Amino acid sequence: MATETAAPPPPPEAGTAAPPPDGAPLSPHLRLWRHYALVKVRKAVVVVFVVANVTFFLGRAMPGDPIDVMAGRLTQGGMSLEEARIIAANSLAYDPDAPLWAQWWDFIVGLVTFDMGMTINRPGFSVAESIAAYLPWTLFSIGAGTLVSITLGLALGMVMAYRRNRLLDHVLSVVASVLGAIPNYLIAMLLVVGGGMYLSWFNPISLRGTLSPGVEPGFNAEFLGDALYHAGLPIFTYVLAIIGTWMLVMKASTTEVLSEDYVTVARARGLRDRRIATSYVGRNAILPLVAQIAISFGTLVGGAIFVEQVLVYKGIGGLLLDAVEYRDYPLLQGLLVVLTTCVVAANLVADLLYSRLDPRIRK
Amino acid sequence: MTASPAAPAPPQGPLLSVRGVDVGYRTGRRSRSTAVHDVSFDLHPGQSMALVGESGCGKTTLGLGLLRLLPRTGVVSAGEILFRRKDGRTVDVRSLAREELRRFRWSEAAMVFQGAMNAFNPVLRIEDHFLDTFRAHERGRARRRAGIREESAALLEMVRLDPARVLGAFPHELSGGMRQRALIALALALKPQLLILDEPTTALDLLTQQAIVERLSELREELRFSMLFITHDLGLAAELADRVGTMYAGRLIETGTTRDIFHRPSHPYTSALINSVPPVSGDLVVPESLPGGPPGLSSLPPGCSFAPRCRHAVERCRETRPELEVLHTRGGGLSHAAACLRSRELAAEGATRD
Repeated sequence: MATETAAPPPPPEAGTAAPPPDGAPLSPHLRLWRHYALVKVRKAVVVVFVVANVTFFLGRAMPGDPIDVMAGRLTQGGMSLEEARIIAANSLAYDPDAPLWAQWWDFIVGLVTFDMGMTINRPGFSVAESIAAYLPWTLFSIGAGTLVSITLGLALGMVMAYRRNRLLDHVLSVVASVLGAIPNYLIAMLLVVGGGMYLSWFNPISLRGTLSPGVEPGFNAEFLGDALYHAGLPIFTYVLAIIGTWMLVMKASTTEVLSEDYVTVARARGLRDRRIATSYVGRNAILPLVAQIAISFGTLVGGAIFVEQVLVYKGIGGLLLDAVEYRDYPLLQGLLVVLTTCVVAANLVADLLYSRLDPRIRK
Repeated sequence: MTASPAAPAPPQGPLLSVRGVDVGYRTGRRSRSTAVHDVSFDLHPGQSMALVGESGCGKTTLGLGLLRLLPRTGVVSAGEILFRRKDGRTVDVRSLAREELRRFRWSEAAMVFQGAMNAFNPVLRIEDHFLDTFRAHERGRARRRAGIREESAALLEMVRLDPARVLGAFPHELSGGMRQRALIALALALKPQLLILDEPTTALDLLTQQAIVERLSELREELRFSMLFITHDLGLAAELADRVGTMYAGRLIETGTTRDIFHRPSHPYTSALINSVPPVSGDLVVPESLPGGPPGLSSLPPGCSFAPRCRHAVERCRETRPELEVLHTRGGGLSHAAACLRSRELAAEGATRD
């Protein structure tokens, strides 16, 4: 590797710090970072590939195939099993006799070409179309929930650390621990039963679904407002589900940073409290937590399947359950690959963000 | 080494006058332990005073207390810390309001901390530390970044660092010695009248220590700030200080010029400290160790707190607590005083001589 020791740039004239001209060699910091980013992206791709294969084989390892499942349903209507199997085989785009390796090859080719084929049980819909119809709602509600809870959790955690062992800290600690201990689908149930039925703060029936009847997607106030109205309950559930953990983790991290020498030195230097709280305490306290943003997001993606069922929110959760129940292999694989990709992408973003925020990590 | 006769005391009197200061830590809901008892001394402009003593004697607590930088549980519970500011007005640091205190820190009195490894925010460049410091203390219009950068570069050059390399670096990219120099440069940024140094060279190798100490004493000549430095390295004290104060169990038990302390120590503890350091030249003697350690803050003996470890202790030492007694009067805070009931007898016997 050529080790060109980039000559230090000539000292800039006072007051005219010109940006480096185009084509100038990247600064060593940036070059290191680019290398770091490449390594991380490569790892992410490998993870997605491995998970995709696991989902493929796991799906097929489940007892029964799409035709069994459909035939089973048809026999409940009084049809003989033989007859039902023939009808099911004719109406579904699935060939049970195709060898496993051929199916696997189709799947991999589909992955690489971003064409995941047709669903088995949703005639006329491709996998991509089905996912595109449901995924945005889930990503929107989870994304908003993650964002709100992390922002609030970090702020409250910092306040707790600054006032540790005072009344406010004790109260918030109890609240955070309780919230952290309740599973997210229970929080959803508590909200519906408590807020919707007993206290009548809202009408849980009209909140169902992702949009009110008659509202068309489009970039207008009516659509956005209605989407938020329907997403409110899931978002609130997600916020409550993870905010407790964030408060406690941030409190611990902030408390640790507050005892660092550089904070005392910053006070000795006469910096303003606000400056110390943001650039010295806050930034260093958040650093070790950045990686956990992705973990939170991943947890919520898993939890969304239950929460969406409880709140009758038409996101990806219901679709995934259907895909499992009817053994809709292409849809199941497609969904899991897309969800995995989302979580891995969140991890990747967190990693890259971390490396930008912490100069010590770029190597 | 010569203990230079101190410059004639300027007429205005001391820069820092510490009067009967107690510093305590809250240990429970209603309990408090006192780490520094009734410490008084005057520091005159241009003087350099070393505070020596074992670990746990309250030196660092006192240093932090002077700038009210104690951790949350610590408080200066009694006394006055009078400081004559650049504008000539004398203020009591204890009664400064929040914003006044913030402006006082670093512009009047700066502090270089023990183990500067960690004194810089790891996510900010050295340049940003200078920028933050200047910005926090400017009044009125914000200064141009370029101007601050130039001034920071000059400060770094003063401590023999290459600004082109250091300004844009993150703290972890610098060696320990470079960080310590950078911190000293940062400490001098606002031209403070007083520099408090807490174990400024402890974590550094001997050559780096030496270089930093030399540079510090040159800078003191140049910039004429006063210095209060806390150390358990007696060699460093002998080299950098005009005066030495010995602390034991939270009290100042002996104070005098460097010559007084090293040649005529009048408290058995001071002489024990000196005897525990092997001499660099001369015959090889086995350094004497002083058995035991300082008493716990909650279990101070009623008499002299050093009595349990003192070879010369007699019955009355265990009953009466000695006050600082002036043995040799000089102006400018340079009197020799010791808090030992038997200091005169022992001096006559030659027992505290080394």
